[in-house]
Formats: sequence, structure tokens, C-alpha cells
Amino acid sequence: MLTLLLDSMPLLLKGALMTLKIAAMVAVIGIILGTLIGLGRTSGMRWLSAILRAFVEVIRGTPLYTQLLLVVFGVPLTLNVQYDEFTAAIITMGVNSSAYVSEIIRAGIQSIDKGQMEAARSLGMNHAKAMLYIILPQAFKRVIPPLLNEVVTLIKDSSLIGALALVELTRTAQLIASKTYQPFPAYVGAALLYLVMTLTLSQFSVWLERRLGVSD
Amino acid sequence: MIRTVGLEKYFGKLHVLKSIDLHVKPGEVVCVVGPSGSGKSTLLRCINRLEPPSAGEVYVAGEKVPPGGQGLDRVRTEVGMVFQRFNLFPHMTALRNVTIGPVKVRGLSEKDAKNLGQALLAKVGLAEKANAYPSHLSGGQQQRVAIARALAMQPKVMLFDEPTSALDPELVGEVLEVMQQLAREGMTMMVVTHEMSFARNVAHRVIFMDEGRILEEAPPEQFFTAPREERTQLFLRTVKK
Repeated sequence: MLTLLLDSMPLLLKGALMTLKIAAMVAVIGIILGTLIGLGRTSGMRWLSAILRAFVEVIRGTPLYTQLLLVVFGVPLTLNVQYDEFTAAIITMGVNSSAYVSEIIRAGIQSIDKGQMEAARSLGMNHAKAMLYIILPQAFKRVIPPLLNEVVTLIKDSSLIGALALVELTRTAQLIASKTYQPFPAYVGAALLYLVMTLTLSQFSVWLERRLGVSD
Repeated sequence: MIRTVGLEKYFGKLHVLKSIDLHVKPGEVVCVVGPSGSGKSTLLRCINRLEPPSAGEVYVAGEKVPPGGQGLDRVRTEVGMVFQRFNLFPHMTALRNVTIGPVKVRGLSEKDAKNLGQALLAKVGLAEKANAYPSHLSGGQQQRVAIARALAMQPKVMLFDEPTSALDPELVGEVLEVMQQLAREGMTMMVVTHEMSFARNVAHRVIFMDEGRILEEAPPEQFFTAPREERTQLFLRTVKK
């Protein structure tokens, strides 16, 4: 069995690389979009805030898998449009993640003492500059743990994409299992690789927090 | 330098400022005293619109303070503000706290801003703390950095909102000294304070506020020795204890 596990490693590693690639792309979309949404929700513009809140509720209130199926299969068939399934899946997952990220960012922004914004504005900074130079750097630092937790979730959730659009780690394990008729070593191998990725990330989170803690 | 006309402020139903007419001349140091909840801080915060007034007008250096936008941002660069709880930016060194305004708002080069920042930190006696983060400074040091930060915008007037109220008693002196030095240099200052000796020794004029009104104003000598209003006498008796 060990031999089988070792034999499947090259293929599994290739799958793991794909998983990382997906998670990285999704994380970039999720964090950028999520930050913008978080900023919009704390902007004080009521209509904007209401629209964004509705968006977040819809995204969080429906399963990611359903959203993926809808975008990858449902929309092209109904509207008779064609697009790259891989790109569509990545964007869908990125948008999904942005809803969660926006809540993290919003909480981070709101946790910063009001006096910080007042001090920045009293220097003549406009709202955008005050956010960019004063509030966001502090907010980001505070939300590193939940933000990296979200990326860990992305690594695991990317297996959903394997079920429909492309061959990542879990899908690779499935393929190996059906070829060898030995599901156990294939899935154990996949699980181990997920664990390596997620544990590395949590270690990174600890290191980053400590590094950014110099001003505390 | 500062003028308010019929300034009113409500917090919901609470009437915090009642028709405040105020005039601060260039180079004048005005101390605002009064019991807590009398509207002193709100008055100060209405001047640079950190608190938008409910009615009335504010003029700074002859210019009407606009309700928002770039005009308001520009007025704010001319009005330095020092807060009770310092509000230093914790993720920046003392020097960066001082230079961030000139660089990001005035567009000063990093090099010029650094020279300016070093000079201002030296002025408040903290030249050697330039690279320290706020969390590594005492309250008195933090407040002095905050004063340097406000001065870095080269304001025409400085507002102090109870600048020593959050300080341990032994740290009050170093902050008052810096403020006194500023007053000597001719800075126009409006100071909300509970430090009666500072008001007495440094102010040109003392304003007594009670329940949202300016009840009495007089030069310090007269204010402290012969207050006209009964409320003022009562207040002065309580703070003397």
C-alpha cells in the first residue's frame, strides 16, 4: 500500500500544484473584491451599503457548489453563451470568497478606534486617503488570522472545482483510485498534501503576525 | 482668526451648543473652561467640523468653513488639532506620524518632510524618539508627538481638546510646557482644559461655558479673582478644592 501511495505521489503533487494555483487566483480576486466591498459597506453611503449587503447575503446564503454548477453549466446553456469553464469557475469562487472577505474587512475597519479617522481628517486627509494610509493598514494587520483562515478554506473548497471543471488534487486522487481500484492510498495521499498546504499557511500566519507586531 | 456666528449643536434632542458667538484674534490664546458636559469639546470639534454644527457659521482666517469636500479638507490643514487621547497612528513611528500629513496632503517630498519632522520632534524635546512607535512612548511623549504632528501642517491656529486629561499627573507638565512655548511664539490657540493654572498663566482670555452657552469671558486675572457670574464662582470654588 505504501508503494502505491509513493507511486501516486508525482501525480498527486501535480494535482496539489493545481490546487494551489486555483486557491491563489481565487484568493487574489476574493481579497481585492472583498476589500472594495468592505470599504463600500463602511463608506457611509446608505444605498451603496444596502446593495452590497444584499449581495453578501445572497452569496453567503447559497452553497458554493450550487453557484459553481449554475455558472459553469446553467448560464451557458440558458443564455446560449460560451466561456472557458476554468475561468468561470475561478471567478465564481473568487466572487463567493469576496463576500466572506468583505465581512472580515468590515469588522477590521470597524474595530479601529474612531479617533484614528478623526486625527487623519484633522490633518486635511480626505476619506480615501485616511482609509488608505491610516485605517486599512491597521485593519489588515488585525484581520490577518481570519483572512488566512479564509485562504485555508479556499484550498479545501477548490476540490469543488475538481468536480466540474479541471483536475486538481482531489480529482487526481479520484482518477488514481479508479485506475488502481485502491481508493485508500490515493485519498490518504491527497489528504496529507492538503494538510501540508494548510499547516504551512497557518505557520505563515503566525510568522506574519509576529513580524507585523513590531509596532505593538 | 476664528469666528463663530450663532453656532448650534444638537445630539438628537440634546441641545449641546446654544447660539455660540465667538471671536479669537490672531495670536490670541483662549482657554475654554467649564463643568463636564457643558459643550466645550463639542464647540472645539465644531470649528473644524469633526462634529458638523446643526446651525450657524464658522470662519477660519476670514474664510467660511464649507460643509465638506476639498474646501473643508483645505481648512482643516490650517487648523491643527490635538486630542485628549492623542490618537497617534500606532502603525507608524513618531517621525512618520509627523511627516505623513505634509507628504500625503501637502505633497512635500519625503526628504523635506523628514527634515521638517526631525526639527519639530526636536522642538517638542523628542529628537531621539524619532524611530520609536507610539506604544513605546509615555503618554506625555505621545501627546508631544501629536502636537508636532499637528504643527507639521503649519496651521494658522491650534485647537487643544483637553490635551492633558488622559495623562498621569507627573506627565502633565511636559505637555503644558510645550504648549506654553507655542503660545510665546505667537500661535493662535484655543484650549479646552481643566488646568486652571495654565489658563491663568498662559491664556489671554478665559471663556467659561455652562449648559451649552458662553456664560462669561474675561482676561485671566479678572476671571479668576473677580468672576461676575454666580455659576462661574461656584465652578471655580469646586475646581480649587
